[in-house]
Amino acid sequence: MTPGSTPAACAALLRRDLTLAWRRRGDIALPVLYAVIVVTLFPFALGPEPALLARIAGGVVFVTVLLAMLLSLDGLFRPDIDDGSMEQLMLAPQPLALLVAMKILAHWVTTALPLIVITPVLASMLHLPPAAMPALVLALALATPLLSLLGAVLVALTAGAKRSGMLLALMLLPLCVPVVIFAAGAVAAAQDGLPWSAPIAWLGAGLALAIVLAPLACAAALRIAMDS
Amino acid sequence: MANWVPLWLHRLGSPPIFYRFAGAVYPWALGLALILAGVALYGGLFVAPADYQQGDAYRIIFIHVPSAWMSLFIYGVMALAAFIGLVWRIKLAETVAMESAPIGAAFTAITLATGSLWGKPMWGTWWTWDARLTSELVLLFIYLGIIGLYHAFEDRRQGARAAAFLVLIGAVNVPIVHFSVNWWNTLHQGSTIRLLGPSHIVASMLWPLLTMMAATKCYYIASLFARVRADLIASEGGKAWVREIALGSAKEGKA
Repeated sequence: MTPGSTPAACAALLRRDLTLAWRRRGDIALPVLYAVIVVTLFPFALGPEPALLARIAGGVVFVTVLLAMLLSLDGLFRPDIDDGSMEQLMLAPQPLALLVAMKILAHWVTTALPLIVITPVLASMLHLPPAAMPALVLALALATPLLSLLGAVLVALTAGAKRSGMLLALMLLPLCVPVVIFAAGAVAAAQDGLPWSAPIAWLGAGLALAIVLAPLACAAALRIAMDS
Repeated sequence: MANWVPLWLHRLGSPPIFYRFAGAVYPWALGLALILAGVALYGGLFVAPADYQQGDAYRIIFIHVPSAWMSLFIYGVMALAAFIGLVWRIKLAETVAMESAPIGAAFTAITLATGSLWGKPMWGTWWTWDARLTSELVLLFIYLGIIGLYHAFEDRRQGARAAAFLVLIGAVNVPIVHFSVNWWNTLHQGSTIRLLGPSHIVASMLWPLLTMMAATKCYYIASLFARVRADLIASEGGKAWVREIALGSAKEGKA
């Protein structure tokens, strides 16, 4: 049997992951529900004063999205490792980095995209001024793939460990600090009516770097984790 | 060029030879560290003059600054050892990288603790979200993440390889810590000691600082070698050379 072409394999893997996610639509809704509940907790904890909420809205939304993605990251490779399809991917003649990149893309589409869609609602619940909304959505559109890519590398590293939930948070959150700083910085600048293209450009530069390097690192980490 | 240097380095990669070498170096490094630390503390606490602006409180730098240097230096050593361990699969390099992590984390914690003790009288606050402080805190978290990942695996070498990978990813933070005072002009003061060119610090304050720096280096060597020896005994438990050492020390104990 001749191996299929690389683009065909990537498309097949992407279609498989998206189909699997679509069959379990309830799981897609979980991160969104989580984000909604966490955001509603803030007015209860801090008091419903609109000026205060508007000032913290950008940061709260980013931290909430980061935590929601963190919770969903554990399921990125776990099912494939459990049912053995990860071994098949590693044995496949196509480059593992590309196949892993497709899995990360599918994960981003099913987890981060619904979060990005819901964030304008969350932000307006916190009285974020509408003028800052484009900055928020753009910053999220650049920051969430970065988080997915970074997170995927670390999930791959913990794939061979028995328990990894809390450990993943300990490893991922320090590395996410720059992403949160730039993304929230862009929203804060937009809120103050200042130009906000510089932090967005930094996020874009980071994303470009991560798209190139993270799948390679992720593939290497998976080989380390599976080689036992 | 003599041939014995690379040969000796290759031989040192072997666990029994390194075990004996580390055992021979350990007491000297520890003794030197204690003597140098004593001299440096005497020089820093009694000989060096009080600062014209900060009075006596500045003396905490004799602990704080060498610890901060070590927190970055150990990460550098760890990253180098992790790289060697990942690329050439040398077991000893993995052990060195993993046993460096707790020492580095301890120095980072000392740096943060002494920095906040100094910050209270000088800046009027224990903690501020300054670039240098924050990046040093992130460094501590990265150290803890590496230690946690190493211990999460049942297989020791697999854990070491995964954690070594994390070491290399986290190495991005080291230049950020180092240059944070230059890149962001925040509360933390800039560096006053220059490797090249004259330092902005009086000589009577400089020599205890450099002596303390040498003391922390010696302490790191002693601590690392002791930890690596213990780790080698634990991980190579079934090997003949460990049994020889164990039987030998048992005989010595009887005699």
